Amino acid sequence: MTQQNIHEEFLRLTGFEEEEMGRYLPEWRKASEKLGLTEEDVRFAVRERLPEHFALELEGIRKLLGCFVKETIDLTKAGEYKSRGTKIVYGILPAVLHFYYALKLTAPEKIFVSFPDIFITFVMNGFFHKLAPYLEEAEKTGIPYGCRHCALNKTRYAARRLGVIPSPDISWIWGFVCDEGPKTDEFIRLYHDPEWKTYVTRLPHDQPLGTVEDEVIERVEYLAAQMKDGFESVQKEIGIKVSEETIRGVIRIWQRYAAKVSELGRLMSADPQPLGAVSGRFFWEGLFTPLNTGMESMEKALDITLEEVRQRVRNREGILPQGAPKLLIYSIHPSVPWIARMFEENGVGIPLSEFFILTEKQLRPPTFEDPYMAAAEGWLRSSGMVNPGYQAEQICEKIRTHKFDGMVFGLMDFDRWLGSSHRLLGRMVEEKTQLPVFYIEGDNWEDRDYSPEALRTRIESICEIMKIRKG
Amino acid sequence: MDELEELAKVARTRPEQLKKRKDEGIKIIGYVGRFVPEELISASGAEPCLLCKGGQPDPPDAVIPYMLRFMSPYSRSQIGYHLLGVDPVVPLLDLVVVQCSDCHESRLADLFEYFKLPAVRLGVPPDWKKSISLDYYRRGLVRLKRTLENVSGGDISDERLRESVESLDKVRDLLSRIRLLRKAQPPSIGGHDFIRLNHATFYSDPDVSIRKLHAVYEELQRRESAFSADAPRLLLAGHVVAVGDYTVPKLIEDSGGVIAAEFLDEGIRHCPQKAEAGGDPLASLAETYYSAMTPPSIFQPAWEERIEHMKGLINEYAIDGVIWYGLSFEEIYDLECSVMSKVMSQMNIPFLKLESSYEYSREAVGPLTTRVESFIESLKQRRNRP
Ligand code: SF4
Repeated sequence: MTQQNIHEEFLRLTGFEEEEMGRYLPEWRKASEKLGLTEEDVRFAVRERLPEHFALELEGIRKLLGCFVKETIDLTKAGEYKSRGTKIVYGILPAVLHFYYALKLTAPEKIFVSFPDIFITFVMNGFFHKLAPYLEEAEKTGIPYGCRHCALNKTRYAARRLGVIPSPDISWIWGFVCDEGPKTDEFIRLYHDPEWKTYVTRLPHDQPLGTVEDEVIERVEYLAAQMKDGFESVQKEIGIKVSEETIRGVIRIWQRYAAKVSELGRLMSADPQPLGAVSGRFFWEGLFTPLNTGMESMEKALDITLEEVRQRVRNREGILPQGAPKLLIYSIHPSVPWIARMFEENGVGIPLSEFFILTEKQLRPPTFEDPYMAAAEGWLRSSGMVNPGYQAEQICEKIRTHKFDGMVFGLMDFDRWLGSSHRLLGRMVEEKTQLPVFYIEGDNWEDRDYSPEALRTRIESICEIMKIRKG
Repeated sequence: MDELEELAKVARTRPEQLKKRKDEGIKIIGYVGRFVPEELISASGAEPCLLCKGGQPDPPDAVIPYMLRFMSPYSRSQIGYHLLGVDPVVPLLDLVVVQCSDCHESRLADLFEYFKLPAVRLGVPPDWKKSISLDYYRRGLVRLKRTLENVSGGDISDERLRESVESLDKVRDLLSRIRLLRKAQPPSIGGHDFIRLNHATFYSDPDVSIRKLHAVYEELQRRESAFSADAPRLLLAGHVVAVGDYTVPKLIEDSGGVIAAEFLDEGIRHCPQKAEAGGDPLASLAETYYSAMTPPSIFQPAWEERIEHMKGLINEYAIDGVIWYGLSFEEIYDLECSVMSKVMSQMNIPFLKLESSYEYSREAVGPLTTRVESFIESLKQRRNRP
């Protein structure tokens, strides 16, 4: 197989059309080189990784993977865009993507938006299992291995060091969840790249357990003020003005997309489970991560997938036998795709990630007209962003709605916010639902420490318990 | 040093005193973190008690069934002793105020609430350069003031608050004066004792502290230094040396070095407030606590200012080398340590990073001692080089 062919095969496998090859093949080859991928790596993705973990027989899933490839190609071109005068705006997960999209929609040619670490992590580890060089680069240059720093932050930093991405004109960092995300930007600027310009918005985690945070008006107002302040500063920095109507337009697109993803969620939790957990999981990224290449291709891939999965549900086709136990998992990341597969191979489904599925309240239209208040309210309705008391209530609702038999927490060792409450949440959810709750120590961005060998016994035991319980 | 030991003894018997006060009907208010103004608690008529324990491995481990393992052992300790049933103070508390400036503190607050301890949170936004953030903190103090009044049953008048600030200012002022004595070579008091002295003032009535600190100051001016004239002068930097976590400072000074200055965010008293005669004392308290002091590592941006502060200490206190005292899994301090280490190397200041999970078994202390001793030895050799 020649080099040309394996790259071509890769693009076909990830849903690229014949007429796109002329444009994307050279771009992908250049991008893959920049990312540090060899022909062997691409062959591994084509022959093993992707067929093993993703439902490539579905056109929608192939196209979904293609969206991530396109976005990653685009990201490796950010340096070129910058040299031509495009303004580079970065962010990190989780954030309300409305504002980033609104920038892009206001001046498509003048603005490049990305959350760079998420694409590099998903594609490099999920597709090629080759994030380690990035992590090691970060670890030997100031972000030590031993402290369990987050792989996303290491990747963002290493991508800059390795010249994969340029300095941003502004990195608008949402520190509404962990501390390390925003502080990594301060680190990058002081330790490596003085041009790495950051604007940070923060919100203290100071609400008592059980507070329904989206109903605390003072909190919604403060968060809205923070968002507005951040967004205005970013606009000033890059010299464009976004209208409130554009933000509202983005909110409408988001809500349309969210409704479709929710339908996929409902289909995924059908019995028998129609699709592996990892395959569809990338669609949820569209709720949180702006794509510089636009939402359209992702939405198209979602439409195709919905049709294909509906058909499977109608035919009662499943990846597991009917009646198999079904667990809600806090979050499954396609960057370590074998975790979901290990559950499925052991006869237990984990079709949906709690972090990403929406409650009935989240799907309701916002109470406020003002786009900042609406965005702030939406944020404070999301389970991962709020106090564990409120979060536990939302988790219980999701368990009821999708008729789960239990829940798996953990795999978030690197996250001092999103991952630090799991043991407590587990207790709360178990008390409220009387269902079995499990905890797995691990890392779902990267698997150098928690290999399949290391987690196999734990996952197999969970599956055995569930099968015995369900009879 | 007799006066220090006497003050330390007063501090050690604090739980008994608190029990007595509680029996007399006085409310006992615990607090976590430097952004909770002690003077506000005192002004309410309640007894303040800083929760700042550490230095033992079992208490942080007791928290693991409820929290991620990779969290600060210091934060975990503040409830860990209680979970083990060996904290005499927490069961006495009528309220515990937890500052929420980072994830570790907020998760600690979650646990206090989960275990039905009477906790309230004080939000501290880390993006401190914005007026909305200061305003947030200020409003948090107003709410805290109301809560304290409700719990203690007394009004916090401006007058009482001013008195309370003035009284604590005297404590801080005396500690500052003692700190300045450490500019001498060899200093009459090292870091191990100075940190303990600071700690003792958190657990004594301000009047007792003031009296004792005066006496310590006098004594230090009179007495011979216990350190040798060629002892390398060290700056100890990091998050916190907790109450009871004295192994490392002691080890440094037993190994022939002297801690001439510290740069710690918690467990140490920061600059005096200089209470204004007029104006709104609560607003000025907010201003001083939030905006006027050197920012803690979690604030953003902070590290450039902290580098400048560190450089200032190095010059003023003629520092030979820096020891970074990191606590396991404190991710922000770990990043800062890399930044500081780079700056120190540019300044040609030797830098040693130590990390503790409060595990001070014989097996753990052996290698630690070797590293500290060889660092201090290298500083001595550097000094003696022509
Ligand atoms: S620790 Fe969690 S919230 Fe923070 S950057 Fe990593 S994934 Fe995002």
